[in-house]
Amino acid sequence: MLAIYKHLWQVNWAEQWQYRANLIMYLFYWLVSPIVYLAVWTTVATAQGSVNGLTAQDFVAYYMVLLIVNIATSEITIHILGYRIMDGTLSNLLVLPVHPVLTQVLVNNLAFKALQLIALAPIWAVLYVLFQPVLTITLVNVLLAIPALALGFLFSFFIGATITFIAFWTTRVWAIAEFYFAVFQLFAGQFVPLSLLPPVLHNIAEALPFRLVLYFPVQLILGKLTVQESMLNLGLLAVWCVAGYALFSVVWRGGVKKFSAVGA
Amino acid sequence: MHIYKLLTTFLKVNIQQDLAYRADAIVNMALSLMWLGWELTSLSIIFSNTETLGGWGPSELIALLGVWRLVNVVMATIVWPNTEKFNNGVRDGSLDYTFLQPANSQLLISITRIVVWRAWDLLLALTLIVAGITSSGGITTPLNVIAFLGLTISGVAIIYSLWIVLISFTFWFTKFDNNVTIMQALMDAGRYPAQVYPVWLRAIVTFIIPIAVATTVPLQALRGDLQWWQILGFLVIGVGAFIISARIWKAGVRRYSGASS
Repeated sequence: MLAIYKHLWQVNWAEQWQYRANLIMYLFYWLVSPIVYLAVWTTVATAQGSVNGLTAQDFVAYYMVLLIVNIATSEITIHILGYRIMDGTLSNLLVLPVHPVLTQVLVNNLAFKALQLIALAPIWAVLYVLFQPVLTITLVNVLLAIPALALGFLFSFFIGATITFIAFWTTRVWAIAEFYFAVFQLFAGQFVPLSLLPPVLHNIAEALPFRLVLYFPVQLILGKLTVQESMLNLGLLAVWCVAGYALFSVVWRGGVKKFSAVGA
Repeated sequence: MHIYKLLTTFLKVNIQQDLAYRADAIVNMALSLMWLGWELTSLSIIFSNTETLGGWGPSELIALLGVWRLVNVVMATIVWPNTEKFNNGVRDGSLDYTFLQPANSQLLISITRIVVWRAWDLLLALTLIVAGITSSGGITTPLNVIAFLGLTISGVAIIYSLWIVLISFTFWFTKFDNNVTIMQALMDAGRYPAQVYPVWLRAIVTFIIPIAVATTVPLQALRGDLQWWQILGFLVIGVGAFIISARIWKAGVRRYSGASS
């Protein structure tokens, strides 16, 4: 099984390099909104000293770390698989003797992500010089952040794949994905640190798992959480991953049945 | 008269085309409404934490959101769908047929595809602008409103011209079909007044991808922040950009040799 992943990695890695110009274009999508919100909130914080206890410096640090966390946990399954389900070319993947989504599609996601992180590095360095964030990063927090980002990606991947599978039933899957994207942006901490949400929205954000994908790793890296709090959130994220996997499996099985019925 | 006839013909064809996908249109209209809710929520979150954003009040930001959406309507109705068609045309040579037609080729490539249901977005954008202006109270004079309208139109003309220049580049550099993506990605920066951005970002959204000229500048005129010569300057830039982009398009077309040759 390991040999399969190794081989898939080589293929996908080479393939991603082929489209490196496109990759940099896509990177812009991830860059613009955090920088815009950084500017908006630092303006507010500078004007009145602080916002709900957060200073301009806090916002700069938050969004600078968010830029990395965002790409580390992002997933593009719908772009890989969505059209293949609709036009039937999924068949080529279905004949594989392994789960195509957990192998080919997963590795494709990872190769894309690895190259994006490499492309981000120099841009992030320039932004670091421009914004001068004050980051105090400890080794413990970095070590805890690695499983947090890995699990965060895995959870997003399961949800993203599950949403993509809706394409087995309806072609309007893109609209559903867009709706999910909007909900995610608000409740994961993409737009604003969740502590600034009004009470009602804040409670919803606390109950939903999306905050564990962005807000939690950012706070963890910034050193805002105790080790106990981090472990608790990590455990919670692991549970959500299991739940995500269960949903992913059920919807996949149902979808593939539906798919073969159409093809036959 | 000629342009008017072409426009109505294309509109008719596109209405027929879009009517075949009625459910899609309804779903997209609902999505657009959802994003409006999202945007208003984000504004209310900002203003629950502050009185002004860089000197701009909530009603002014609602009007700005309206103008930003208006620019987006133009993009989503005409620019993005026609870019797709144009890029495919260059790749497979079907652009030849466009040039064979006895009409202005720039006009043809700009309006062959019109996403008709976006009229709904236009309605939402105009509602936001009117709501923003009326609730901002006494500071707006009729003269400011006229300047605002003029600058909005010239801002849209500048963005449209930039698009024409970018796709014209395809005639010189064939592998250039990604350029418009950057424009699309930077659109988000137009949602807030350019004054809140650091200098380098303000420079990008003013001079390189001038989305701020189409969004922030008209709002500044509405607030009465601009001198008459500044307003005149931006209007001249709008007309100039339009003329220059048409020239570049023509020069590009002369270089076009078809996909087969």
